[in-house]
Amino acid sequence: MELPTLRPFFEDKPELLQEILDRYPPYGRRSALMPLLWEVQRAERHVSEARLREIADIVGVTATEAKGAMSFYGTFHQHPVGRFHLQVCRTLSCKLAGADELYRFLVEETGLVAGETDAEGLFSLQSVECLGSCGTAPVLQVNDAYHERVTRSRCRALLAEMREGREPPPTRERGGDNVSREKAARFAAAAPAVAPGAASAAVPIAVSAAAAGSDRDPEEGGVA
Amino acid sequence: MKVVVDGVTLDLPPGTSAIDAVFAAGSDVPYFCSQPYMSPIGACRMCLAKVGAPRRARDGSWILDEATGEPQVFWFPTLMATCTTAVMEGMVIDTRSEPVKAAQSGMIEFTLINHPLDCPVCDKGGACELQDRAYEYGEGVSRFVFDKRHQEKHHALSALITLDRERCIHCKRCVRYFEEVPGDEVLDFIERGGHTYIGTLEDGLPSNFTGNITDICPVGALLDTTSRFRGRNWEYHHTETTSLDDASGSAIVVDGRTGRIERIKAGHHPQINKSWIDDGTRFGHEYAGAPDRLRRPLVRSNGRLVETDWADAMGYVAARLAELSGKEVGIALRADATLEEGVAARALADHLGSGQLDHAPRPAGGVIAAAGHARLEELAVAGAILVVGDVTEEVPIVDLRIKDALRGVTPPRLFEHGAPIADLRLKERMPRRSGLLTVAAPVRVDLMRHAGRAAVYPAGGELGLFRALNALADGAGADGGREVDPAVLGMPLEAGVATVDALRRAETAVVVLGGWVLASADATQAALHFCRLVGAKPMPIGPMANSYGLELTGVLPSHARYAYAGMLASAKALVLSQLDPAVDSVVAERLAALELLVVHSSFLTATARLAHVVLPATTGYEKDGTVVNLEGRMLPVRAAPVDAGEARDFGGLVKAYGEAVGQRLEGRSVKGARRWLKKSLGVDLDALPPLGAWAPSKRVQARVAISVHPAAARGGALRVPTMVRAEVLDRNPHLRAATGGPALRLHPDDASRLGLRAGDEVTVTVGGVPRRLVVRPSESVPPGLVTVPATPEEPVGLVPVDLARIAVERHALEVA
Amino acid sequence: MSTVAERPKPITSRFDPRFEVTLYRHVGVEGAHTLEHYRARGGYRAAEKALTAMTPAQVVEEVKASGLRGRGGAGFPAGVKMSFMPPADGRQRFIVCNADESEPGSFKDRYLMEDDPHQLIEGMLVAGWAIQATIGVLYVRGEYFLAHERLRAAIAEARSAGLLGRGVFASEEAEDAPGNAGFDFDIILHRGAGAYICGEETALMNSFEGMRANPRLKPPFPAQAGVYGYPTTINNVETLCSMVHIVDRGGAWFAAMGTDDSKGTKLYQLSGAVVRPGVYEMPMGATFRELIHDLGGGPSEPAKAFIPGGSSTPMLPWSEANLDLPMDFGTMARVGSMLGTGGVIVIPEAQCMVDAMANVVRFYAHESCGKCTPCREGIGTWLPKMYQKLLAGLGTREDLALMEEMVRNLGGTAFCPLADACAMPVAASFQHFRHEYEHWVDHGAPMHPTVSRWTA
Repeated sequence: MELPTLRPFFEDKPELLQEILDRYPPYGRRSALMPLLWEVQRAERHVSEARLREIADIVGVTATEAKGAMSFYGTFHQHPVGRFHLQVCRTLSCKLAGADELYRFLVEETGLVAGETDAEGLFSLQSVECLGSCGTAPVLQVNDAYHERVTRSRCRALLAEMREGREPPPTRERGGDNVSREKAARFAAAAPAVAPGAASAAVPIAVSAAAAGSDRDPEEGGVA
Repeated sequence: MKVVVDGVTLDLPPGTSAIDAVFAAGSDVPYFCSQPYMSPIGACRMCLAKVGAPRRARDGSWILDEATGEPQVFWFPTLMATCTTAVMEGMVIDTRSEPVKAAQSGMIEFTLINHPLDCPVCDKGGACELQDRAYEYGEGVSRFVFDKRHQEKHHALSALITLDRERCIHCKRCVRYFEEVPGDEVLDFIERGGHTYIGTLEDGLPSNFTGNITDICPVGALLDTTSRFRGRNWEYHHTETTSLDDASGSAIVVDGRTGRIERIKAGHHPQINKSWIDDGTRFGHEYAGAPDRLRRPLVRSNGRLVETDWADAMGYVAARLAELSGKEVGIALRADATLEEGVAARALADHLGSGQLDHAPRPAGGVIAAAGHARLEELAVAGAILVVGDVTEEVPIVDLRIKDALRGVTPPRLFEHGAPIADLRLKERMPRRSGLLTVAAPVRVDLMRHAGRAAVYPAGGELGLFRALNALADGAGADGGREVDPAVLGMPLEAGVATVDALRRAETAVVVLGGWVLASADATQAALHFCRLVGAKPMPIGPMANSYGLELTGVLPSHARYAYAGMLASAKALVLSQLDPAVDSVVAERLAALELLVVHSSFLTATARLAHVVLPATTGYEKDGTVVNLEGRMLPVRAAPVDAGEARDFGGLVKAYGEAVGQRLEGRSVKGARRWLKKSLGVDLDALPPLGAWAPSKRVQARVAISVHPAAARGGALRVPTMVRAEVLDRNPHLRAATGGPALRLHPDDASRLGLRAGDEVTVTVGGVPRRLVVRPSESVPPGLVTVPATPEEPVGLVPVDLARIAVERHALEVA
Repeated sequence: MSTVAERPKPITSRFDPRFEVTLYRHVGVEGAHTLEHYRARGGYRAAEKALTAMTPAQVVEEVKASGLRGRGGAGFPAGVKMSFMPPADGRQRFIVCNADESEPGSFKDRYLMEDDPHQLIEGMLVAGWAIQATIGVLYVRGEYFLAHERLRAAIAEARSAGLLGRGVFASEEAEDAPGNAGFDFDIILHRGAGAYICGEETALMNSFEGMRANPRLKPPFPAQAGVYGYPTTINNVETLCSMVHIVDRGGAWFAAMGTDDSKGTKLYQLSGAVVRPGVYEMPMGATFRELIHDLGGGPSEPAKAFIPGGSSTPMLPWSEANLDLPMDFGTMARVGSMLGTGGVIVIPEAQCMVDAMANVVRFYAHESCGKCTPCREGIGTWLPKMYQKLLAGLGTREDLALMEEMVRNLGGTAFCPLADACAMPVAASFQHFRHEYEHWVDHGAPMHPTVSRWTA
């Protein structure tokens, strides 16, 4: 019986491959290892051994070297993560905002423990280190999106959305000097060209309804 | 520079590492990650010491200590890793004070945290750097009370090396070794932090030099599978000797116990193999202990070979020889016989009055022993190298020395404690100057990966290649190169021109000539001419360990027709030592009808089965003697204490013959042979210096055997050198498992045309010699060509046979 | 004498009317990340000035005069670092932006990159010009996906506008004016993949080159042999952004803020048990009190300690005296801690300190690269297990002594500062809160039991 052959990942993506390779000087071809791993990770939710070997060949290193580099990092996975890869920050500032409880809640809700993916491939759960959003703790990263100040109710809402198969847009919070209203007003007065709220060139961010409104205005105080 | 270590003042060259200063002063610090000939990395943190140095004021003068008037010593704020610290003028190193002792015992304690308490069952016990350092520098008790990290303990990295991941202390010697020495990056760390382990994705560790990691691993994590659980290190008897597996003369240590060889380790010879040996040398000892070793002489009686004793056997031989004319007796040694055995053979030939004396294999080129050959140390610093052949298989150490040249690593200055422990000139991942290397061969060979230029020329086309190179050297390339055909060159003209230019421009240039070149006298002459044209030194690779020596001491026929091939065809009686020509059925028929066939052999070979008398022979591990390596360096061979029954070397055979005929022939003892050699070579072999001595250079008139000049063809059966000698591969089960058995290689298209698949076992008959081989399709082989392993009887070279006429018989799978 | 009297008092308070938010002026503003927005507000003016009206050496001098010290944690004088580069010899040179912000308590660079990517691009352009590096490497930690996307878009915009690529700010007139032919400069945006150690500059270079991210031996320093072995200068995001304003308004303007050893405006971060956590831009030398109380709304519950500059810096007990300390490099060193990235974390009284430190130690254990023995074994295995034993109620007094000794053995013996970054804070927790450790030993339970902290 002939087993189906896995087509190389980059076989039908020559322009993408070339664009990535061209980023680096010719003597730095090995640098393309990480961006190539990211492409595969994002498309297939993991990097299998076959893909790793393909990338090693492209970049000109042994498969062993490629595995040594890939396995060093926490964001490349040998086995598929779920459609929604839940990464809970557990380091000090998030812990002080209840990250341990958030994690236990997700364990109960998904039935998973750290590193596991559920049978349907919907969720996987991972406990990660500081995500660099300590001012809006606790933080949950779902795939590439940050969800900041994830309260219990927010968490429920996010899970519900994901269970319906929808990937929630990032939950952006504000605080400190990362505050829109006073500054936006000031700058709107000063600058001629740009209308406030003009669409950004890249990924749209959903400013959470609460922060865009109201009682969670950081200027007036109260992290409830 | 003035350096003071624990009160001892030294004068050391700039660039010396502090750790070498420590050892040069007679002090000691522990270390695990440093390794001579490899980059220092400062990872294990064992070698920490208190280091200080004086400082200069703005005006350039030393800042003085007011109390003493001497330059003040400013201690560095933290303890320094001495392996990655370069000495400075006036540096002071303290390895004895309390903070250093505390750091040392602290680091031992950390190192032992996850290290399993396996000493009672670990092969490394008694020779383990961790045990020794823990004993010397540790507190004796660990305060770690938790469960240790658990990892795989019996991971077969290959059939030859077992990895115990729990024992690994992450010194990274093995990973660095593979990148820095053979350039085969087959091992790496996987994951990070406390989860780090050693692993590979290259099945079976494809490299000819994997075994060295079992020498350099400081603990019992990487172990030689052939000797696993065979004995405790303190039980082994260690014999320092020279390997007879190839022409390099590599230093080895034979470890044995109760009369058996259990393990071979690398010996240290700074000018030949440094501290590395190839896998064939290391793991290829099992045949010496094979159960079917011949232990007693055999004599044919009533058509059957029966055991007897030496006196009886040689009595029979003497009686038969007396009935023959001595001129009709042929004597042939294998080319790895020692000089002393050669003297014995000469003495026997002289006694018989026979000019039919030879050693085999002996290449037609006949220039093995000649003046002006390049030395390995010259190769290691060459500014340009041309290799014609597959040195990675033929003499693997030459491959490693070439890689030294590619990294620009000149031999280090040796301290009293040996090669520098931390040579700061060596760094991880140094760039390779591939532009200085051209590799040419009739098939793609592994060394081409590292070469700036690779040439795959038509098989058998060595003469054409050198004629083309000579034309380019004469300026043919300059006028459009119409005289030079790139197909003959195997590479584009520009590459050929670049090769010639590189060799010309280099201060030291070396041309390595493998067996395919030397198989043809014409090609060899053309190659030597090329060397003269471009100012390069040749390095001819003799086929076996003592090709140079046996040629030098005249173990040669008195006339070309009396050479080995000739004596097989026409002698009436033959005395053959460790040779097996009866694999060829035509020769076998002739041998069966000889008046007298005496076979001196370690095993009952096909030839031995036809003999009248079979005498048990010692292997290369079991005799005392001298060989001359490819550089012309005389090196000692020392017998390990092996129980080989009544096996003797050829000198012992001649001694027994002498006793049978009442004559005291020269060379009957090693001492006697050395007296003769002292007269003829002017060298006292009883007093060889530790690194050997140069053989006197002589112009040797080689009696050239009939050489075959196959027309260069793209097709045929090419006999290729193999690191593991094909004739012993079957009796080395671990190597056989690792290599998958002797291979028939051919292009995948040819394989499918012939209906062959990878792994098929076939019998291939080329030139009358049937060989049982395993099919390995490979893109390295050009279409129309098959490669089979060479043997001493069928040395490297091309048999220009139409591929379709090579009989291949597939063996049906036996269903149990 | 009169000059001393005339010199104006340095700006050391956010509330000084002379102080204005500079680095974060666009952060939080919708649409601020576009080139249009940036240019309309004077963006790339500094780069143009540097490339057309200043020599590289002059830019370096201006940065030196500003007193700017590296904002990534080490606090090394940025101008001095740039002057370590060897004279241009035809070999490629690199300016690397270390955007691998992973220090727990630090989150300033993320908003800079998300909301004001052009400021960073301009900073790299200025720095590249100063050290004559034609290639910039922007290494962003893998988790900062939005920042990476914003930077990618911004780089594309800059290329289209000729602000990156060949001949940036090439002028048509004035043949012998500096920058006539323009400056060839472009940026390689490279995404990391989740490893704190990549914030160490030599490990970052190894990671960028496609290898395992172990730190390298120094010497050679990056200026001698950095990316791919070529001369390299590596700077933090905030450091590079600061250079934009130093060039725009002069080193003296920058140096008018801050204290004797720490100049300029700095992004401080506040997290933990405070009312208004976030990033606050303040002049250096402002006090913790100003940050925590005046800007941050004070602790949200009674506090017992604060970490001054990210989890690698030893904590300080909560006290009036400590709150009045100025936040600068010299003061922090003097009190036995470090300013680091200025990521202040307020630790509440009700948080068990042993539990908090176990959390921090687990961070370093997870992030250890594994190269050297003390970190891999001591921090990777032993220290976390000792904390687990304590927190299981099985700890003994000998264990405490052993932990203190272990921490001493780790200090100054490892290959890179990660081991110290774990050991020194642990030592500080023993120094100031040994009673909480002893409580665990004596009672098998915390002095401050776990309370719920998660908001509904």
